Amino acid sequence: MKITHWIHIRPDVIILDGKALVSTGKGIEMLTSVYRNRINDYPKYFKMDSLSKLGFIASELLLQEEKERLVNVESRAIVFFNRSSSLCDDKNYQETIRDKDNYFPSPAIFVYTLPNIVTGEIAIRNKYYGETSFYVLDCLNTEKMKQIIDDAFQDEVTESVLGGWLECYDNNNFEAYLFIIKKNDKEEFLLDWNIETINKLIDTNK
Amino acid sequence: MGYIMIVKIADNIISPLGMTSEENYREVKKGRTALKVYKDRWGLPEPFTASLFQGDTIENAFSSFHSHAQYTEFEKAAILSIHQALQQTDVNPSSDRVQFILSTTKGNISLLDDNPYKFPEERVLLGSSAKNIAGFFHNPNQPIVISNACISGVCAQITAMRCLQNGSCDIAIVTGADIQSRFIVSGFQSFQALSPLPCKPFDRDRCGLNLGEAAATVIYSNSAPQDSEERWMPVSGAIRNDANHISGPSRTGEGSYRALRSILKGQDVNSIAFVNSHGTSTAYNDEMESIAITRAGLQDIPVNSLKGYYGHTMGAAGILESVISMHALDDSTILGTKGFENAGVSHPLHISSQNEQTDKTAFIKLLSGFGGCNASMFFKKGIIL
Amino acid sequence: MKETILKLKQEIIEALNLEDIHPEDIDDNAPLFGSGLGLDSIDALELIVLMEKNYGIKLKDHAEGKAVFQSIAVMADYIEKNRKK
Repeated sequence: MKITHWIHIRPDVIILDGKALVSTGKGIEMLTSVYRNRINDYPKYFKMDSLSKLGFIASELLLQEEKERLVNVESRAIVFFNRSSSLCDDKNYQETIRDKDNYFPSPAIFVYTLPNIVTGEIAIRNKYYGETSFYVLDCLNTEKMKQIIDDAFQDEVTESVLGGWLECYDNNNFEAYLFIIKKNDKEEFLLDWNIETINKLIDTNK
Repeated sequence: MGYIMIVKIADNIISPLGMTSEENYREVKKGRTALKVYKDRWGLPEPFTASLFQGDTIENAFSSFHSHAQYTEFEKAAILSIHQALQQTDVNPSSDRVQFILSTTKGNISLLDDNPYKFPEERVLLGSSAKNIAGFFHNPNQPIVISNACISGVCAQITAMRCLQNGSCDIAIVTGADIQSRFIVSGFQSFQALSPLPCKPFDRDRCGLNLGEAAATVIYSNSAPQDSEERWMPVSGAIRNDANHISGPSRTGEGSYRALRSILKGQDVNSIAFVNSHGTSTAYNDEMESIAITRAGLQDIPVNSLKGYYGHTMGAAGILESVISMHALDDSTILGTKGFENAGVSHPLHISSQNEQTDKTAFIKLLSGFGGCNASMFFKKGIIL
Repeated sequence: MKETILKLKQEIIEALNLEDIHPEDIDDNAPLFGSGLGLDSIDALELIVLMEKNYGIKLKDHAEGKAVFQSIAVMADYIEKNRKK
């Protein structure tokens, strides 16, 4: 299998297919400036929590690189991993219910207290009807991550996976390593999808 | 790669209805439920109906382990369930050929609110909690946690099937658990999703869901025991997204239908005893499922929901409901849908209202969840030749 | 009433994260759901929270909400008549 595109995002840097992307600001501001400069057609972005914003921006930048952007298919699975689940949002939601005398639970925050919502946001944007999954590991384990992504291809409908590590602790502390992995691709091919490549990409960009 | 037969070798349910699968099934067959009204629980301003463990049930059951290490209620429930299931096998859980897979939506989330035993903050992390659970059994492998909203329990079983197929493990211990809390109940209340009374799946007077808590385990193996006993096999599973809305069900039942379509490939529809649906008793979910089930050509197959016995047990649901369904067919029974009286969905379905007899030995499990995700599995019982 | 309407628009923009929308962009009589601002079911639930938090008005359910949230003008009128804060 092949990696056709990959992206690494940290609060102060974006590397897309191995090249640094010019961007302004840091943290969530950086993501929002990317939204305004390169996307800017999806106001729902501003309703998303930080984890979903990170996943949305990362996937948009990847999908924009596709020769023919894939939309409206069942053949693309979204498989994400992290360590903190939706802890950032959990804490925000807890604040809305903490004080019994100022008790106003927020449904808009509560809905994001599930980490898989980001997979739903990407599926909605691109009309991906295939598998959407979210896994939580106690640490970034590339072998486990690769094994589970490879296993997603056991569903014979799945031809490609948008997958990887999507972590967000707060607005200034987040990290994404996302890949588009294709079963067969004669046209677009960047790198082999194997553990050596994955480790090299992650180690180089730590 | 050749297809390997995956078989169930053990199961357990820990719930307000009992501490073993057998006890749970007996109670459900009799029509019992633990659903009741709670007022002023957790300081919440609105009362709610739920199925919760009473008093120190989990604490008392766990005390027999004489464990020095500290565990949260969520972890204790999961450990108890796994332990009980393991007792039915000769599996050594400390082997590196055993993989722990945990399905949960919120795990130890109540620690954010109330942490009297001073667990470290890290314990709220699902992976950390899972490590403690697998660690109780001295398992050396990193546990896999599925947090895919309410479909997690089916996703966890699908993940297990895949691991066993590729040979990265020989035994998969799949556990689903969620404990209710102020955090979760208040959230569903803010969504106006809860019914003040016991829920009524697919009924015309349904007005919302009830929450529940439980732990359920199923142990799968990729090597069938050498005997002529009939065993349960998860045959196929699929996860599909509606690509429509992050909380509202699809008006066309898109993801649900596509998941059903996928798992039905190559299967004889006439072999199916029933479809155990999600059937949460919300206006939109049950309507959506009726559309999906009809689109998949299953409108004449009996459909039931177990939410009237257990409430919605979230991360445990997919496993608990699959296990009860297996025990039901072991007893040649299609369970009735507690709470259902009059049909209230636009597509007429064959809703099973009372317990019925059947001689069929296959069923479908169907679930949906926030994030637009849907999952389905096809289970069959037979002799592995 | 004009003050109520302006304050309400600002509150809604903030509560629903309607970035790039200013009070003058919102027509007092345009539908809030469906067309107009195109709000969805989660927005409706957040508006119910807003009514209670800012004005002490407890709406029973989304059926009641649907009637009150038809437009900014209808909302503002309801607030003026029923506010407890």
